[in-house]
Amino acid sequence: MPASTVADTLVSAPAPARRTARGSGVRRRTGTAYLFLAPFLVLFCVFVLYPAISGLWISLHIWNPLLPNQPFVGLKNYIDLFVPGSLTSGDFWQSMGNTGIFTIASVPFLLIIPLVVAAMLNQKIRGGAVYRGIFFAPYVLGVAVVGVIWKYLLDPQLGVVNHVLGALGLPSDIPWTVDVPWAWISLVGVTVWWTMGFNTVILLAGLKGISNDLYEAAALDGAGTMRKFFSVTLPGLKPVLAFVTTVTILASANMFGQSYLLTKGGPGHATRTAIMYIADEGLSQNQMGAASAMSYVLFLVLAIISIVNFRLQRDRSQS
Amino acid sequence: MTATIPRPATTASVPEQVPPRRKRRRTPVATIVLYVVLSLLALAIVVPLIWIVLTSFKTDFDAINTPLNPIPHPFTLNAYQTLASGQQPIFLWFLNSLAAGVLQTVLILITASAGAYALARLEFAGKKIVFGVIVATLLVPPVIFLIPNYLTVQSLGWLDSIWAITIPGSAGAFGIFFLRQFFVGLPPEIEEAARMDGAGDFRIFWQVVLPLSRPALATLAVLSFLNNWNDFLWPVYVLLSPEHQTLQPGLAVLQGAYSTHFGIVMAGALIASVPVLILFTIAQRQIVDSVASSGVKG
Amino acid sequence: MFKKRQVGRTIAAAVALSVGLALAGCSSTGASSGGDVKGGDYSGPKVTVTFWNGWTGGAAPVLVPKLVAKFNAEHKNIVVKDVPMEWADISAKMPLAIKAGKGPDVAVAHGDDIATYAAQGLLLKDDGILKSLGYSADDFPKGLLADGNYKDAQYGIPWSVTPLGLYVNKDVLKQAGLDPETIPTTKDDYLATLAKLKTAGVQGEWVDGYVFTGTFELESLIWQFGGDLFNDDVTKATFNSDAGVQALTYMTDLIKEGYSPAKVAQDGDFNALVGGKTAFNWNGVWQTTNDALAKDDWTAAAVPQIGSEKAVWSSSTHWIFPSNKGQSKDETAAAATFVKWMNDNSAGWAATGELPAQNSVREDPKLLTDYPKLKPFLDELPYAHYETVAPGITSATATITTALNEAILGKKSPKAALDDAAAKADQLLQQNASQYGG
Repeated sequence: MPASTVADTLVSAPAPARRTARGSGVRRRTGTAYLFLAPFLVLFCVFVLYPAISGLWISLHIWNPLLPNQPFVGLKNYIDLFVPGSLTSGDFWQSMGNTGIFTIASVPFLLIIPLVVAAMLNQKIRGGAVYRGIFFAPYVLGVAVVGVIWKYLLDPQLGVVNHVLGALGLPSDIPWTVDVPWAWISLVGVTVWWTMGFNTVILLAGLKGISNDLYEAAALDGAGTMRKFFSVTLPGLKPVLAFVTTVTILASANMFGQSYLLTKGGPGHATRTAIMYIADEGLSQNQMGAASAMSYVLFLVLAIISIVNFRLQRDRSQS
Repeated sequence: MTATIPRPATTASVPEQVPPRRKRRRTPVATIVLYVVLSLLALAIVVPLIWIVLTSFKTDFDAINTPLNPIPHPFTLNAYQTLASGQQPIFLWFLNSLAAGVLQTVLILITASAGAYALARLEFAGKKIVFGVIVATLLVPPVIFLIPNYLTVQSLGWLDSIWAITIPGSAGAFGIFFLRQFFVGLPPEIEEAARMDGAGDFRIFWQVVLPLSRPALATLAVLSFLNNWNDFLWPVYVLLSPEHQTLQPGLAVLQGAYSTHFGIVMAGALIASVPVLILFTIAQRQIVDSVASSGVKG
Repeated sequence: MFKKRQVGRTIAAAVALSVGLALAGCSSTGASSGGDVKGGDYSGPKVTVTFWNGWTGGAAPVLVPKLVAKFNAEHKNIVVKDVPMEWADISAKMPLAIKAGKGPDVAVAHGDDIATYAAQGLLLKDDGILKSLGYSADDFPKGLLADGNYKDAQYGIPWSVTPLGLYVNKDVLKQAGLDPETIPTTKDDYLATLAKLKTAGVQGEWVDGYVFTGTFELESLIWQFGGDLFNDDVTKATFNSDAGVQALTYMTDLIKEGYSPAKVAQDGDFNALVGGKTAFNWNGVWQTTNDALAKDDWTAAAVPQIGSEKAVWSSSTHWIFPSNKGQSKDETAAAATFVKWMNDNSAGWAATGELPAQNSVREDPKLLTDYPKLKPFLDELPYAHYETVAPGITSATATITTALNEAILGKKSPKAALDDAAAKADQLLQQNASQYGG
């Protein structure tokens, strides 16, 4: 079952060996444990677990919260997603495809650029903290602010970006927020601008945690910069990189704000992400049943990706 | 506070920061390239922000017709005046957001740290399942939670109150997951020592683990606050009167109502971000160090 | 004594309603007839009336509090609480709030939402209120009262109408060597003017692929070419008829002929007008009060007749009386009094760039002396088309915007775009029918 596989990986992998002073028997302190967990579990069960389960129940109905009747329809909402020509399947898979495009396009930039920047910041330079602060600053702004700012700057007719391009002699009518593939470039670019600092800072921490001795040993072995990077830096960064990768993939897969504010999902619905479509279907059209079914399909996809990701990490750390 | 990274060390104390490389000799060219690249990137971040500030002082005509020129001519406070005197109580929204952010942060810190301690340090029946379920919910698209939580909040009588925008949000799995990872990475020796001295679980939690976890707690506090501050979907549903609104959905309101009045939209964006930016500047080093050093052990 | 009067009025209202109710067939949950009030004089115990509206921009934030304060001063037993919020927020939170008993006592909604709200049992029928306030269809522009009627029950009382018009930047015409006072009204004149502007290096009308205002222009054109958006009982989309294809092709041709740039951004067309980069913009009456235009020498005219008929798109707003869980009859009655008063005092509403719906207010010559720029819009009302009445219609009309967007951006031919959209719309209409009982 996915949950316990993930749990296994997380429980076993990074935990230090238990060197208990007592014998090898591990004491079970179930009562105490649940006492510690109680405040969290109460909130969790009411506001997370219950909705997640009732979401499944809702997905088996045609569920409009404003109407008195919610007819049970079994797996129809799910089946409709896989039947071409139904009301939802075309839009749903298009939005899933768009989510896939965005994730594949954004994640590499959201990993490589921060990695390079972190490597640079790891050098002895003056003002490192200032740079760090500047890079992290956009993350502090919310998606609404970021969306508003970039919608204006990227406006094809009025935005600064096109005017600057024009001044440089480049085409100045690029439809950054209006047409693909430019809209994708905009979305990825804005996302990188917004969250790059967060990843950078975490990767920087990971870099600082790699012992200098390892680099010295590699240098003594005759390794140049590139070799050092691949045989010391990357392996040492692995756990941190794994965390950042997972978080970034999840964030990209759940992207909503940037599309909603910058392109409104356009042109047509070419940049409408899964979450945008699900939110529209469930909240604007009041089709909570269909929206819940779609959410769980998305959940399954994310779960599979996560398991694969964790399995890969576990295999590598065991080799 | 030095940036410490908890590691499974052989020593009993948490190790100091690894000093910067001493052996590396950089060529002057490399140094210049380094500074240039970093500066360009920094400009890429800062310039848009400066542009926005300046645009907020422009008239609509100016903003539409001379976008390339950042200097407003004429310089006008019209946008800010419109916002200040408008029907929308922006300052009240700001206070609401602040109160909600602080409340949710405190709630998360308390519940998540206690629960994370149990998951990290205590053996108990059902541990794997509990942890597994918690982690699994991280993958559930947030839309699922909206309507059921709305109905729950309604039946609890919390509609249009600060509870509605703080309590459901503090139930998320991220905090407890994050802290659990951190606690697991702490060297167990100190706790062992305390236990041998006869301390019970709660004493250990309160007097040993929590103090050692300050970077992680600070990080979680910052992230939780930002999360609540930036939420713009949920408050729209559960907050009904204008006096109880929060800032971010309010900003979306401005964008809709004034979509062609760029000055006002930019001014609104600034008002929504200036408080957090100031907070951030003051606490910058602390915050960034916390995020960096907080046991992101994967 | 007061109670006896109430009872008397209730019986009278019920008798008047009986015919209407008999025709109504299925009654939605909680849709009882609105509270009792005659001629707008509520005389019950003191109540607070919460009033939700989407008037957050333009002149409204200054005007509305003044009106509300005046009303409150004149009515000692009613306190109206004005709660403005963004239109999108209202559609998000109002339905759920009404079900939870926390919605407003009176609100303003757009015409295309009324049937949806009514079908969801969120509104009180106001046939009774309408009668007792003394309103009939003739008090409003042709076809407007029907816009708030669903399944032969009245749910809305008209408040304002907002038709599309032709905005003209006279400076641009002058610079191109054209007479700024001659505004084209026929297809041939309009295209000829655009051609002349083109030779002078100006792209005369920028078309965009978005709701504001590409969709409004498209719908106007569809009606002008003799077509309609949906069939009479709103079970099928008809916007992909020949008329529809002609209308959309006309718009894409403007790009082809070079009268408009391709890939205009949202609001790009209006901003271009403001900035003197284009001469014409089809936009709503609400832009007449947009002070972005202040520096331009501009005027407004009726939209040119491109097709075989005169037609123009218009939106409308109506007063609605939510049927909150536990709704107090007194509060509804007080709200009705407020509505009548507002309608009677709506002359100043023109300052917000909307036309008051009540004929007597709008046809008062003083309105035009105060707001001369509104004349062309007023003249369009006899042939204005309002929103289609059907629950859940907004999702179906959204497909029109998708088709427009795809055709304008050159992704699909107009016919293909419209056909695909119509197929989608049909599915949506079917879903609506099965959910809301048609």
